[in-house]
Amino acid sequence: MLLEIDNLCLSFGGLKATNDVTMHMEEKKINGIIGPNGAGKTTFFNQISGVYKPDSGSIVFDGKRIDGLKPFQINEAGIARTYQVINLFKKMSVIENVMVGMHPRLKARFFDSLLHNKKQKDEEEKARQKALDLLDFVGLREFAYTQAGSLSYGQQRLLEIVRGLASDPKLILLDEPAAGMNSTEKVELNVLLRQILERGVTILIVEHDMKLMMDISDRIFVLNYGKKLAEGTPEEIQKNPEVIAAYLGGDDE
Amino acid sequence: MLLQILVSGFVLGCVYGLIALGYSLIYKSSGLMNFVQGDVLTLGAFLGYTFYSLLGLPYWVALILTVLTAFVFGLLMEKFVIRKLLSKSVLAIYIVLATIAIQYILQNAIQAIWSTKMLNYPQIFPVPSVSVAGVMVQSESIFCIVMSFVCMAGLQFFMKYTRFGTAMRAAAMDAKAAQACGINTSLSTGVSWGIAAGMAALAGILLGPIYGVFIMLGSTIGRKGFAGAIMGGYGNMYGAIVGGILLGLVETLVAGYLSSTYKDMIAYALLLLFLFVKPTGIFNERAITE
Repeated sequence: MLLEIDNLCLSFGGLKATNDVTMHMEEKKINGIIGPNGAGKTTFFNQISGVYKPDSGSIVFDGKRIDGLKPFQINEAGIARTYQVINLFKKMSVIENVMVGMHPRLKARFFDSLLHNKKQKDEEEKARQKALDLLDFVGLREFAYTQAGSLSYGQQRLLEIVRGLASDPKLILLDEPAAGMNSTEKVELNVLLRQILERGVTILIVEHDMKLMMDISDRIFVLNYGKKLAEGTPEEIQKNPEVIAAYLGGDDE
Repeated sequence: MLLQILVSGFVLGCVYGLIALGYSLIYKSSGLMNFVQGDVLTLGAFLGYTFYSLLGLPYWVALILTVLTAFVFGLLMEKFVIRKLLSKSVLAIYIVLATIAIQYILQNAIQAIWSTKMLNYPQIFPVPSVSVAGVMVQSESIFCIVMSFVCMAGLQFFMKYTRFGTAMRAAAMDAKAAQACGINTSLSTGVSWGIAAGMAALAGILLGPIYGVFIMLGSTIGRKGFAGAIMGGYGNMYGAIVGGILLGLVETLVAGYLSSTYKDMIAYALLLLFLFVKPTGIFNERAITE
């Protein structure tokens, strides 16, 4: 298992935002998390990526305890993420955004840069090439030197994903990547997610678009009121009466 | 006459520029304002005097030690005061007030450690003055201008072309996203405060030999540097330099051709004018709410 989350709990005041959640995720799979609004999906994400510290329980990634680590340490450990609201460095160029994403993997020190020696030149050249390749991967190469803030909404989403991939993560967390995308862009996203998987990157995705989720996920986890309601293949989830009840609000049996 | 005025205007302007750069760095990285800047300049002048004149170290060594000490001071101040207050999620104005408190504590501490008397650096360069286009200019003045530009250029290079500088810019633009990119934003913010303090202290050790060293050396300069930062475009790096130099030139020209009685009045009137007519400054930085 790449990611093992056991008995995770987090409360805000009296509200149990995450209530004894256990999820185990296999490597090189697309794992989806669904749930009604306010089910605690983003809160759950924020604990994996280190934005919140869980009250109890454990998160083991690639054999290493990561719960309670700082976000930048979790990124160094090999988990990248994107946000529900786009968080790009809007005043930097597109390629600079990708290169910032490589930050933990680059080594050049101040004096290497100042002297502009061979070691630094080589690294910079390699980083630039890798950034261009990544941009090629999502079809943003022609915009490499434009300001990130001037890209269209869908392109900004893609750039955020690519910036996440730049750190060579083993796992990428995508928080509602299809939000605000039109139907063509959603089809492209579907293809892109499979290509990311082919690169050997495991995906954990939160998304409201049920069609996309059922279509793309290998395994789905359902959260409701902070609790795990069910897990299984998309077919199993679609047939699960508890899940159907939660989504239809049908607790009036 | 004019050339001499221009040189001293540039000296003062470069010092304002260094201070203003510090304000910009801190504003960009934390969204805050640090009133201690000017008094770190005083600290730098006293530290430099101690290292150079009392301990007899070479001027270069004294300069580097001074800047490093101030850097550590800025870093620790961010870590143990600013960050602690931020984690209590108090309003920004409280943190700014805290910096005013630190300003007076530092001023008093400097007074307690050194003295209230004016101290003078011994001569630094073997040649006390050089002739520039027929006018005698103090060597220290030229050194001050050159060093300021070296420092400003160095900072630009650091921010633009090094990995850590890029990380600092990223953290300033969007801390959340920067963290997700593996950047230690608390370190990069601390370093911003450290660099700001280092530059202020550099200004102090450059200015000390020209103006003499005394307790209030930095307090007016600190305020003027702030004015320079606003005129250039608060938060903008180039703006800080250009605004600082502009203010220094205006001030010395007024003092030279009108009367030194009016120099502060005109400098601050210029600041007010900018606030009313062009609050985004010369470099059109959006420091105001949209």
